[in-house]
Amino acid sequence: MAGVSDNTGDGALSRRALLRQGAALGLGLPPAVALLDACGGSSSGGTSPKNSIAGTAVMSNYPSWMGAHVIAEFERQHPGSKIRQITSASSSIAGTVQQLRSGTYDFALADASATGQAVAVGIVAPLDWSKIPNIKFVSQSFRSGFPHGIPTDYGKVGIGYRPDLVGEKISSWHDVWRLAPKFSGKVVFIDIDRDCMGSTLKYLGFSANSAVPSQLSACKDALVSIKPHLQAFLNTNVGQGLQDGSTVIAMDWDYDVALNKQKQPKIEWVFPSEGMVAYIEGWIAVKSSPRLPLVETFMNYALEPRQYADFVNTTGTAYVEPAATAFVAKSIADNPVLRPGHAIADVEYEHFLGQATALWTNIWQEVKAA
Amino acid sequence: MRRHRVLERLLVVPTAAWTLVFFVAPLVLITVFSFGSENLVTFRISFGWTASNYSAFSGSLYLATLLRSLGLSLGTTLGCALLGLPLAYFITRQRPGIQRLLLAGVIVPFWTSFLVRTYSWVNLLQSQGPIDRLAHGLTGHHVEVLYTPTSIAIGIVYSYLPLMVLPIYVALERVNPDLYDAAADLGARPWRQFRRVVLPLARPGLIAGIIIVGVPAMGEYVIPEILGGGKTLMIGNIIVNEFLDVGNYPFGSALAVSLMVVLMILLFALRRVQPAFEAR
Repeated sequence: MAGVSDNTGDGALSRRALLRQGAALGLGLPPAVALLDACGGSSSGGTSPKNSIAGTAVMSNYPSWMGAHVIAEFERQHPGSKIRQITSASSSIAGTVQQLRSGTYDFALADASATGQAVAVGIVAPLDWSKIPNIKFVSQSFRSGFPHGIPTDYGKVGIGYRPDLVGEKISSWHDVWRLAPKFSGKVVFIDIDRDCMGSTLKYLGFSANSAVPSQLSACKDALVSIKPHLQAFLNTNVGQGLQDGSTVIAMDWDYDVALNKQKQPKIEWVFPSEGMVAYIEGWIAVKSSPRLPLVETFMNYALEPRQYADFVNTTGTAYVEPAATAFVAKSIADNPVLRPGHAIADVEYEHFLGQATALWTNIWQEVKAA
Repeated sequence: MRRHRVLERLLVVPTAAWTLVFFVAPLVLITVFSFGSENLVTFRISFGWTASNYSAFSGSLYLATLLRSLGLSLGTTLGCALLGLPLAYFITRQRPGIQRLLLAGVIVPFWTSFLVRTYSWVNLLQSQGPIDRLAHGLTGHHVEVLYTPTSIAIGIVYSYLPLMVLPIYVALERVNPDLYDAAADLGARPWRQFRRVVLPLARPGLIAGIIIVGVPAMGEYVIPEILGGGKTLMIGNIIVNEFLDVGNYPFGSALAVSLMVVLMILLFALRRVQPAFEAR
């Protein structure tokens, strides 16, 4: 990942990038585009190699994290343009940066933290927003929270629980900490530091992006105090135990609770009174990519409300584009778990922590080792 | 004659090249990285030949984790030996056809994905799972071991048991069965026979099994991740975290080198003990 001789972060052309660009210019372009160039191009001023959207753009993505018909429709409307997904997107910051530096990808799915890190490393291409006018459909709060790419989805961290088994109403993180000893071994937390520590910081009344050592120390103490009562820290199927009651309280993502609630209606979702932390994900372009025009055209296409709704309907995620609501399935659009209404104002979005990342990591490891 | 020698040496070249490129070079690289430092914002590594990564390793968090890994590795290796030795002995005492069948039974699980086998233990050990229900039916008590150090130990013993059984089997399979009959004729009861005849003859295989199981078990990180529920931190998990999540290659390298040094010390100690062991 962090090889000392890798200069892509400085904007210098690495040997790999040089070879890829050479291949794109010399061999990769379809004959039709070359012919257009030779003839002076279209009325829009020609499709010079620099601005051509012909070719194949490679995307790093999660499996099934794309509208079912989006790519096929795009390729049908843009002959000669192809989007290829490699579904091995990393959920870790370092993993994402490592992938972006590999020279394999033209654009990638990443959360705001990983994007911030990638920007700091210097491997994210600034987008030409004039070529992505459909960004206007995205709510301003998400655009502000994800300024280096196009936001695609977000996920809130709240509480899923079984009122029938707990026997009382839960309305806050404070309730979770209070009830954990009573339901020892039946409480699960998320196994991702940003979400778990972020939520704990909200419980303590601090910012979920805090870089203050004393606040993070208090966060560690709070997590260490509840750890003996936790069944597990999980990063997949976090709320699955809520279905059969083996878990009665879960710190969980909204989409996971919504999914489990479909199978077990007794599960309830809580928007904690102390507030919530949420991640924002989106697509970012890789600086070394020779296919930025194609990437920007595809980004713009994917943000068209109908196409974006296809993505939401395929993934079931909480969405960032109100204009797509008319095309989104009612089960998602009307789901109070995924669409919290005015309460969204109390959500704090995760952003890149910079130098404090190491401090977070150390504290997270201390929690896990305790 | 000389031509033969040249040809012999040429035969070594592919293996030597492979070892050099994929074993020695990465080892040197990791050692060099372990003395570097990294800016965790820009991911830029500088090589100032600092030992700060090693001094950070001496912190209580990492030492406690290393000791936990060591304890779990020793415990699970012992568990594998206790289960593997009688099993290997039992297999060698069967007719050749049955032996092949039983050996296949030991090896066949290896044909299934390691991840699938490990995840299957989540289903077996979880609350309301088959083991819990069986225990509740028999004793009236629930057995809830999933996401505890016990479930990690069960997972490691299960996964590594064949690596213990096979070398012991190879050692015992070469033993002339007449030796067992002779011991019985001389009045040795089964337990004494096992202790005085089988065990000494199985020692080379047992020691090989201890090394094959103990070394990877020490750095194991997948099984603790899946069966430990993220609550039991092992040294392997920290190393993976430093490389893949934090991206701190120098510190991750220092942890990896430190783990290697600890394992080498243990292996040297085992080698020193081995002759005395064999002589008994």
